[in-house]
Amino acid sequence: MIRALSNNISFLRTTLYISTFVILVVGALTYRSIVDATNSSEMITHTYKVNVELEQLLSNLNDAETGQRGYIITKDSVFIGPYIERRSKINNSFAELKVLTEDNPILKEDLIEINRLINERLLAFQTSYQSLPKGDIKDPNFISNFRNGKVLMDSIKHKIRGAIQVQNNLLEQRQSKYKSDLIATPLLLFSLLLCSLILMYVAYNSIYDNIKKLKSKNEELEIFKESTNQSEIVSKHGTWTFNARKNVYTYSDNLYRLLGEQPQSFEPTIENFLKYVHPDDVEQLSKQVDQMRENIELPYIYYRVIHKNGNIKHLKAYGRSIVNDDDEIILLGTTADITDEIMSFRALEERNMELERNNKELSSFNYVASHDLQEPLRKIQTFLSRLEDEEAEKLSPKGLKYISRIQNAASRMRLLIDDLLQFSRSNKADKVFEDANINLLLEAAKQDLAEVISAENAIITSDNFPSINVIPFQIQQLFVNLLGNAIKYKAEERTPKIEITHQIVEAEKEESIKKPKKSFYHKIVFTDNGIGFDNEYADQIFVLFSRLHNKDQYSGTGIGLSICKKIVENHRGYITATGQLGVGATFTIYLPIE
Amino acid sequence: MQEDYINITLADDDEDDRLFFTDAFDEIKITTRVSTFNDGVYLMDYLNSEDALLPNVLFLDLNMPRKSGLECLKEIKQNPKFKDIAITIYSTSASEEDIENTFVQGANIYIKKPSDFKTLKKVLSEVVTINWQYHTNSMNKENFLLRF
Repeated sequence: MIRALSNNISFLRTTLYISTFVILVVGALTYRSIVDATNSSEMITHTYKVNVELEQLLSNLNDAETGQRGYIITKDSVFIGPYIERRSKINNSFAELKVLTEDNPILKEDLIEINRLINERLLAFQTSYQSLPKGDIKDPNFISNFRNGKVLMDSIKHKIRGAIQVQNNLLEQRQSKYKSDLIATPLLLFSLLLCSLILMYVAYNSIYDNIKKLKSKNEELEIFKESTNQSEIVSKHGTWTFNARKNVYTYSDNLYRLLGEQPQSFEPTIENFLKYVHPDDVEQLSKQVDQMRENIELPYIYYRVIHKNGNIKHLKAYGRSIVNDDDEIILLGTTADITDEIMSFRALEERNMELERNNKELSSFNYVASHDLQEPLRKIQTFLSRLEDEEAEKLSPKGLKYISRIQNAASRMRLLIDDLLQFSRSNKADKVFEDANINLLLEAAKQDLAEVISAENAIITSDNFPSINVIPFQIQQLFVNLLGNAIKYKAEERTPKIEITHQIVEAEKEESIKKPKKSFYHKIVFTDNGIGFDNEYADQIFVLFSRLHNKDQYSGTGIGLSICKKIVENHRGYITATGQLGVGATFTIYLPIE
Repeated sequence: MQEDYINITLADDDEDDRLFFTDAFDEIKITTRVSTFNDGVYLMDYLNSEDALLPNVLFLDLNMPRKSGLECLKEIKQNPKFKDIAITIYSTSASEEDIENTFVQGANIYIKKPSDFKTLKKVLSEVVTINWQYHTNSMNKENFLLRF
């Protein structure tokens, strides 16, 4: 849009230049035409004047001649009066003509010639008049003079007529030029004005278009501004600008609201703003603002403001500089009200601390369970063993039976404590993942169970495992528990057989993997030929302290499989169990591939 | 100085445990002289005294009031005077943490108190007859905890 506008602006500027040029040309041409026309008309007038003067000259000469003749005939001095009068008039006409023909050398020469002739004629007239004897007009001297006068007169008339003719020709020429001037000028003017009009029209169209575009853009801007205002209110933030050169701030409406004030209710200056800042934060904020003025950038800063009603709000501000059209650096800043965030963060922190306290209590409870509970139990067992060993013969068979019962109960309690301890240890936060050789971990687990395995002649077969990123001691514990479980719940009539398989599977294709975090998983399957279980209990067997069998049949605390589940969950994996009564059980473990 | 008996010392705040301990050595057919202390402070006071008869094997309970077994262990290991004493940790718990800490501090062996008197006698006689020279040289974290 801005590019299009600037293109248009250069177009308009060109149009303006061209129009100005055209109008100047039109003006110049018009001026010249008018000057030409004026000149032509002046020339015509001039020519007329010359003609009139010439005619007058002629007529005066005629009058003078007539006067002379009258005098000659009548000898009455009445006729001599007009003659003298005409003579002076002829002189006047000459003076006039002299002025008029100043610019016309040919006419000037003609006039000189005419003047000479007139003077000659007048001289001839004088001579004939003086030589005229009283009343005798037949005097040959007079007649020759008279004739001579007539010849001169004729040549004067001829000369003047010639001059008049020349003047008439000149007049004709000038009239036709004047006419053509009069026709050409309006045409030129009209066509030039037409050009200007077209240019003006084009310019007008372009301006109109631009105004229309600007108007629609303005409307868009208005809408954008309004939506920005709304989003500022909803997201609790305000914007501001800082012109570094002019040291001028502008604040958005919502920035005022963040301070608990009406929009634009005070002048946007840093001094006014600082009045709202929490006294403890003023110094730091001022320092940061000074740095901002220097560096024209504002990293994230945090401070508090106090509303007039006493509410304290936490604000966070950030600014980035841009350069405007006038090459001024403007800092665009955003200030957000993060009070809610801080409050919820504090609540979260409190909850975390509470959880931490609970965890500590839990681990101290674990310590009590592992250490303090074991100690009296161990003593009970030790004293019982001494009773059995040293005092057996002094007891009745009933007493011996009771002792043996107490021993059993104490053993069971020890088992429970050990398992609980193990369960709580699988909870520990300081788990270190490392790439471990799973084959070795399985071997170690078998080693731990060596006694029962050999006692039951259990057969364990397993695939070769790749190394997997795990918490090694936990995986070993997992194997111990699963293998131990399989052997414990063996079928009476069969030698326990446990098959362990490994494969890499795609998460999407495995039903048991819900909401997978990785695309591929290690699938490790423990299949045994033990007593199995009803699939109805498939989920229940992983619940802490849940048991499917009576304590008398199978010793167990109901913790072992819970530990397995916890260990697998620690590895972000999944564990499932399926069983068939009397046939066997299958435990499937999925461990994510990182 | 070759002695004809093994000098054994135990620091344990639990009266029953001290009783089991002395009873067990009474029944073991090894010539020993057993002395017991009620906590770490009594033990260290004795060991630091001028005329103390230093034990060949010292059994340390970890959880004691006033001065714990771990603190005693540190003090003993810092004093060259006690460098010949073989130190056995004798505790109810066998948590990874306790085993790790005492191993790092230089204890020689770790026993979890058995819950059976016969086992106790067996373990104790095993410990006092260990060839310490040999055991110390080949000691590592795996055989630090005595299994029985």
